[in-house]
Amino acid sequence: MKKRNRFVYYGKKILTFVVSVFILSAVVFYVSRLAPGDPLVSYYGDRVEKMTPGEREWAKERLGLNDSVTVQYVRWLDHAFRGDFGISWKYKTDVVDVIGGRIGNTLLLGGLGFVFIFVFSLLLGVWCAWHEEGPADRMICNVGTLTSCIPEFWLSLVLILVFSVTLHWLPSSGAYSVGKERDFADRVMHLILPVGIVVLNHLWYYAYMVRNKILEEVRADYVLLARAKGLTKRAVMFRHCLRNVMPSYLSLMAISVPHILGGTYIVETVFSYPGIGTLAYESARYKDYNLLMLLCILSGILVILCNLTAQIINERIDPRIREQEVSERLEVTEP
Amino acid sequence: MSELLEVKNLSVSFFCAGGEVQAVRDVSFSLARGEVLAIVGESGCGKSVLCKSIMKLLPGTAKIKSGSIAAGGADITHYTEREMCKLRGKLFSMVFQDPMTSLNPTISVGAQIAEAVRVHQPEITGERLQERVAELMKLVGIDCPGERMKHYPCQFSGGMRQRAVIAVALAGNPAILFADEPTTALDVTIQAQILDLLRDIQQKLGTATVFVTHDLGVVARVADRVAVMYAGKIVEIGTAAEIFYEPRHPYTWGLMRALPAFSKGRDSLYTIPGMPPTLINPPPGDAFAYRNENALAIDYEKEPPMFRVTDTHYAATWLLDERAPRIAAPVGRCGEHTDGGKSRRRWEDTKNTRMEETASNEILLDVRHLSHVFPLNRKTAVKAVEDVSFQIFRGEIFGLVGESGSGKSTVARCVMNLYRPCEGSIRYKGINTCDAKSFRKNRRMLQSTRQMIFQDSDSSLNQRMRVCDIIAEPMKIQHMTPPRASFREEARFQMHYVGLDARYLDKYPSELSGGQRQRVAIARALAMEPELLVADEPIASLDVSIQAQIVNLFRHLQQEHGFSFLFIAHDLAMVEFLCDRVGVMCRGRLVEVAPTQELFSNPRHAYTKALLSAIPIPDPRREQARRATEFCAERDALDGELTEIGAGHFVLKNGEQ
Repeated sequence: MKKRNRFVYYGKKILTFVVSVFILSAVVFYVSRLAPGDPLVSYYGDRVEKMTPGEREWAKERLGLNDSVTVQYVRWLDHAFRGDFGISWKYKTDVVDVIGGRIGNTLLLGGLGFVFIFVFSLLLGVWCAWHEEGPADRMICNVGTLTSCIPEFWLSLVLILVFSVTLHWLPSSGAYSVGKERDFADRVMHLILPVGIVVLNHLWYYAYMVRNKILEEVRADYVLLARAKGLTKRAVMFRHCLRNVMPSYLSLMAISVPHILGGTYIVETVFSYPGIGTLAYESARYKDYNLLMLLCILSGILVILCNLTAQIINERIDPRIREQEVSERLEVTEP
Repeated sequence: MSELLEVKNLSVSFFCAGGEVQAVRDVSFSLARGEVLAIVGESGCGKSVLCKSIMKLLPGTAKIKSGSIAAGGADITHYTEREMCKLRGKLFSMVFQDPMTSLNPTISVGAQIAEAVRVHQPEITGERLQERVAELMKLVGIDCPGERMKHYPCQFSGGMRQRAVIAVALAGNPAILFADEPTTALDVTIQAQILDLLRDIQQKLGTATVFVTHDLGVVARVADRVAVMYAGKIVEIGTAAEIFYEPRHPYTWGLMRALPAFSKGRDSLYTIPGMPPTLINPPPGDAFAYRNENALAIDYEKEPPMFRVTDTHYAATWLLDERAPRIAAPVGRCGEHTDGGKSRRRWEDTKNTRMEETASNEILLDVRHLSHVFPLNRKTAVKAVEDVSFQIFRGEIFGLVGESGSGKSTVARCVMNLYRPCEGSIRYKGINTCDAKSFRKNRRMLQSTRQMIFQDSDSSLNQRMRVCDIIAEPMKIQHMTPPRASFREEARFQMHYVGLDARYLDKYPSELSGGQRQRVAIARALAMEPELLVADEPIASLDVSIQAQIVNLFRHLQQEHGFSFLFIAHDLAMVEFLCDRVGVMCRGRLVEVAPTQELFSNPRHAYTKALLSAIPIPDPRREQARRATEFCAERDALDGELTEIGAGHFVLKNGEQ
């Protein structure tokens, strides 16, 4: 009984996942074709302007753009199921290769950002909750609100202006200096500003959430009992409050992954950082349909996976929810 | 040093935006080893604050202004948090009101008890720790501790959780146990078990206990000494016998008289007039003077000192001054009314004639073989109500009692067409309300003549609507023309009727107190001029004196206007006072139906007996000798048919004893 239930549980989740991805691909496919712009530009570049109508017609025919959108979509689906996502019109190679060459950079940037946000927002949240309504808590909350309001691109420009242009401490763009691809220190130097901006923009929000969640727990009755049995403030905070905050924090962080990724896209564009963010921007702008499709689907899969993780964390970690399932199962056996 | 705990002239204030709230004012008392001291008073009298300030568990806005606390032979008034941590759990410990929230939901019960053990005895580890936890769980009466310690609080029932909380509190062998309303949130049978448990533990371990409660019945059961608190001060302190049999302070008189048991045979419950004062600017003189019918002129000016009555009995009232006029206590001996003497017979006579006057033979509501099932998921379901049949006559108050989860509310909601029952029929004035067709045909009549009042007035009123709109809304929905000029006039009339001032018309519910909100809910129901009022635990969330006011209002509505009530409650004392007939529910079954006196004097079903024996009686001599009979819930006792064994007295056959 137990095993079957679990099988059904995960089966449902996987089905939701597949259906979501399918719907996503259809929507992206149609919407990208609704947007104005000339898809031939991405394939032929500036040459498009000199093309005769006949040549244009031939090019469109060759790229399959003359068929109706539905036919194009079915064709794309057919290829995709066989593992062929087409070639990038701009780079003239398989889109998988194009993305494969860049995704490492984005994962490095986003992953580092995520780790920093994960650790620091927890620490900051606990610190603020500990010193509730103290000057430090108030200052952090206020500064946090302020920085959350500043758009990422503006913050990036200001920091570039300060640290790169004026102080010359840090490089202003790229993932590494020319010819120093293997130089670790150089890579780190290039990462400091983008990662810093991603972290600065998201940290406060999550820290604030942690703080409020902990304060909610601190006001709960069981804290009073824990203190009445003689636990110190620190033990109550870490053994009881933080422990109870963790499930919701983990699921929150799981949902935050797409947000952080979205943040890296913008930062990548500003810093001309060779990741999939810049790639996505270019492909959307110049109508590189195949590339755009795969990028959107990859991002979509990430978002859906993160949401699923959050859901599973929520449902599995809390003993109250787990218990519900147990009691339901028990009653099945009763006549 | 004979006293374990000595509090001298303690004053505690909260400093908040509205000003300084003087929650505890100049309180002195002492507690000897192994003694049980009960602190009683209405809510907001500073009982809890007093206990928490001794353990220094109050939030940062609270401050000890003056006075001293000595515990275990040391002055702990100025102890730091670090020093207090060493004392908490070891010298004193605390049990809180709501067992549902006072355990951490994500840590297993065993681990929480183990944590409490290790705080003061870190040398206990491994096997020995498990043994100690099992021993504690056995001490508080949790069976199979080996299994149960791995369970989470959500797998425990309310009573079991409170036992676990007590185990946590006892883990460090404290010399003093503070119990802050430990049974208020529990059912009456569970309350009896927990009280027995606390008394056992106190005798076995010799733990001195400070018992905070508003229920004098509970006090009678457990206390050696009693302190009565009012407006942050102890106004009377003495042994349980002295307080119960020779109370001296007018407030103690008031509390005693407000017990429903005392009002048997009267038309209305006694209520202490007015409300406790706010403690932001407590009135000069005796704070109780404004609600005291025997107040002397000096009461308004000068605070009375503690007068000595006997060596153990002190009371702060000018009535004890030698110059004061002698006023006989309006309270007789407690328990006098239950001696089966004249008063009781007279009461039964009046009640019978009253019933004849008000209740007719016309059946207003006829519930037959009602069953309701809640599906949990596709395969499983909970049988909330099973084969329940009863009738309500016009002009009658029918009480439905039972523990939480017994299906009372489900019955009420089926009656109101909020749930569609799975089986059975409900006829209101001969109309089958379960049938969709006949319901649609008579919808307007059915909806306007049946009204419901809910337990939680906080959530049953829309917070964003003004009182006058709330009261007029059902009329607007039914497109009724207000009988009194305008909807506003109508709302004003109804508010006046339920005893609310017209100045509350434009207020929002959040600006009103709990009792006032419940009155608004009643006014909303009355505005439709209903014939049947379904009241689902209307008084459970209210303070005792306000409960009495609402019950008086119900009684008045029935007698003067012939309303019929389905009154759902778990407070048996109130039910006994208010209802004409009572049905007892247990696990979805109606086990016994009888006229009120018949049921209370001659209960036949095993469960009814257990339920009645669990009600604490406010009489220490009888109460302390008594133990509650427990109802072993064999399934058999709840099967079978209702059979008539006397005039109007029905009982489930198999459970009859």
